Amino acid sequence: MNASTAVLEVHDLARTYGEGTGSVAALAGVSAAFARGTFTAVMGPSGSGKSTFLTCAAGLEPPTSGRVVLDGADITDWDEERRTRLRRERIGFVFQGFHLMPYLTAAQNVGLPLRLAGRRPDRVRVSALLERVGLGERAGHLPAAMSGGQRQRVAIARALVADPAVILADEPTGALDSATAASVLELLRGCVDELGQTVVMVTHDPVAAAYADTVLFLVDGRVAGRMDRPTATAVAGQLARLDEWVA
Amino acid sequence: MGMVWLAVRSLRHRYAAFTATFVAVLLGTALMGSFATLVETAAGPVPAQDAESLTVMGAVVGGWGAVIVLFSVASTVGLTVGQRDVEIGLLRTIGATPRQARRLVRAETLVVCLVAAVLGALLAAAGGRALLAALVAGDVVSDVEFGGGAVSLPLTVVGILQVCLVAAAIAGRRATRGPASVTAADDLAGARPIRRWRVALALVLIAYGLGMGVVTVTVSGNSDDPYDAMATSGSSSLLVGVGLALLGPLLLPVGARLARPFLGGGDGAGYLAGYTASRRAHLLGGVLGPVVVLTSGAVGTLMLVGADGRTLVGEPPEGTETINLLNNVVVGMISLFAAIMVINSFAAVVAHRRAELRQLWLVGGTRAQIERSVVAEAALVAAVGVVLGLVGSLATIIPFGLARGEGVLPDGQLWLPPLLVAGVAALTMLTARTLVRRATRSAAILIP
Ligand SMILES: Nc1ncnc2c1ncn2[C@@H]1O[C@H](COP(=O)(O)OP(=O)(O)OP(=O)(O)O)[C@@H](O)[C@H]1O
Ligand SMILES: [Mg+2]
Repeated sequence: MNASTAVLEVHDLARTYGEGTGSVAALAGVSAAFARGTFTAVMGPSGSGKSTFLTCAAGLEPPTSGRVVLDGADITDWDEERRTRLRRERIGFVFQGFHLMPYLTAAQNVGLPLRLAGRRPDRVRVSALLERVGLGERAGHLPAAMSGGQRQRVAIARALVADPAVILADEPTGALDSATAASVLELLRGCVDELGQTVVMVTHDPVAAAYADTVLFLVDGRVAGRMDRPTATAVAGQLARLDEWVA
Repeated sequence: MGMVWLAVRSLRHRYAAFTATFVAVLLGTALMGSFATLVETAAGPVPAQDAESLTVMGAVVGGWGAVIVLFSVASTVGLTVGQRDVEIGLLRTIGATPRQARRLVRAETLVVCLVAAVLGALLAAAGGRALLAALVAGDVVSDVEFGGGAVSLPLTVVGILQVCLVAAAIAGRRATRGPASVTAADDLAGARPIRRWRVALALVLIAYGLGMGVVTVTVSGNSDDPYDAMATSGSSSLLVGVGLALLGPLLLPVGARLARPFLGGGDGAGYLAGYTASRRAHLLGGVLGPVVVLTSGAVGTLMLVGADGRTLVGEPPEGTETINLLNNVVVGMISLFAAIMVINSFAAVVAHRRAELRQLWLVGGTRAQIERSVVAEAALVAAVGVVLGLVGSLATIIPFGLARGEGVLPDGQLWLPPLLVAGVAALTMLTARTLVRRATRSAAILIP
């Protein structure tokens, strides 16, 4: 992969929780680059450091050592204020638990990152995004009146609203049935193919990973391999092998 | 302006969560405002002696009121904000700076407090008049003209709003500590360690209270003015009570361990309660605190007033009525706000544990069992709270009794502590039962 086209790069990323004998190395030296317009799945056993990886890459938490480069800028040593501003302009988030504001309508939730940036969301753009995720009719609905799949679509529209450099998703289909999950994955795939977005998605599901261009495997906080043009069967086989190593 | 926009929508959605803050500010303003009008009245054409009584009353109630309102508003706002750690974490994840998150908390708090304080000031306009009429009727002051409101009430509102801002700043700071995350802080951290400054403050308060007790016995008890002893020992029970309350999260597990032999019977409700009390000590500490302060302050002060009435010899000196009235008003205020805090803290505990109660129900606990386990928890908190509170009240009772020659054990009113203890325990357990019933009877327990 050509590093110059990489939107997100991490170099030798390490993150240790706790001190002394009780400390846990959640990440122990991960290096990776994610090129613009690609869809990468991050997989690995529970506790292998996948969520920690996303947290550090997003600048939510500073790594213990190593560097994070986003869009050409090394953000590792930025202060919280500056990282936050970067986050709302350049990073979109999608979570397993959807995490919408319960008191805002779908359209208001989508526009929220822009409001936080002090801008008034453009109505036309918000409706276009809701249209794109198939919820054009639901702009005025509150999250409580929507299904899990619909909520996750709103969350994806919210992640897209600032036209970010990269979308980070932590098990976005973990709480959905397989049919709903498939439609959410189609949507993410569409963002990459049609909008040229870059998506990094943590998942436990080989079927979900098969939507990606590349799968990155983590074990014990280290990169344990990668797979291009993955299929569900190949990924499942690889995961089984990784589990054997761990056991 | 994004945060105000958000605050307005958030408030509309969950105004119920702000009820406790609203009530605390409303009653706080009404009480403090009523007494503040006395100070303003005193500034008018009033005999010098009455002016002094009125000013002292206004100042004492205003001062205590400010402290009590600060505590209760800080506690209620803190709980409302604390329950939303996931939501605030989300806001920060998608791009709210810590400063913006704090501004949201401040905007929400300020709107609620402003409405409540203005309404409270209106109540105080009538309350001040009634209070003065009662003072005149009770011969505490001569027949003076009510001349308050125009200056004192707006000032009270401004003062209360300052207190609200401090409370919001504390809550906002706590909510934005550490990195942003959409995981509930409680699930990750388990039992939160108690902060060192908290222990230090508690020890200072307790030491100060005990020190004043020693001063009462050795110095002020021998003074010619019988009220010197009261001045030095009167607030000790409260200070020690607040100190013990601050240590609540440490003392609760100890109490639970001591009580465990008595909790064994029944169908496991008591057994569960004993463990919950240790593991969730920081949550239940919010209930324990007001219980301790309520018991300690009420028992200590009321016993003090009683002993004073028994042991004063000869003609009561000037100002006795004022002092008794003030003691009773301060105890009343503390009791009222402590009760609000007990109810609100328990509501937070139950709301926080909906998911857990549901688990209990899914693994086969009946609704009655779940309710019993929460009520047993409340009983445990009440028991530990009143024991600590009674210990705290001794900081006033013993020194004052010694100074007035009654000895360690007061000569009368021994029925009072058991009565107050029963009242406090009943309040705690009834609150718990009502709230947990509402939680388990509603359909919400069926939905994750
Ligand atoms: N805040 C924290 N404090 C202490 N340890 C943590 C913290 N967050 C994560 N860890 C530890 O770091 C390791 C990696 O955690 P992480 O959440 O990144 O795993 P994961 O791969 O996302 O697992 P899962 O698939 O179960 O979500 C685990 O051992 C975890 O216990
Ligand atoms: Mg994870």
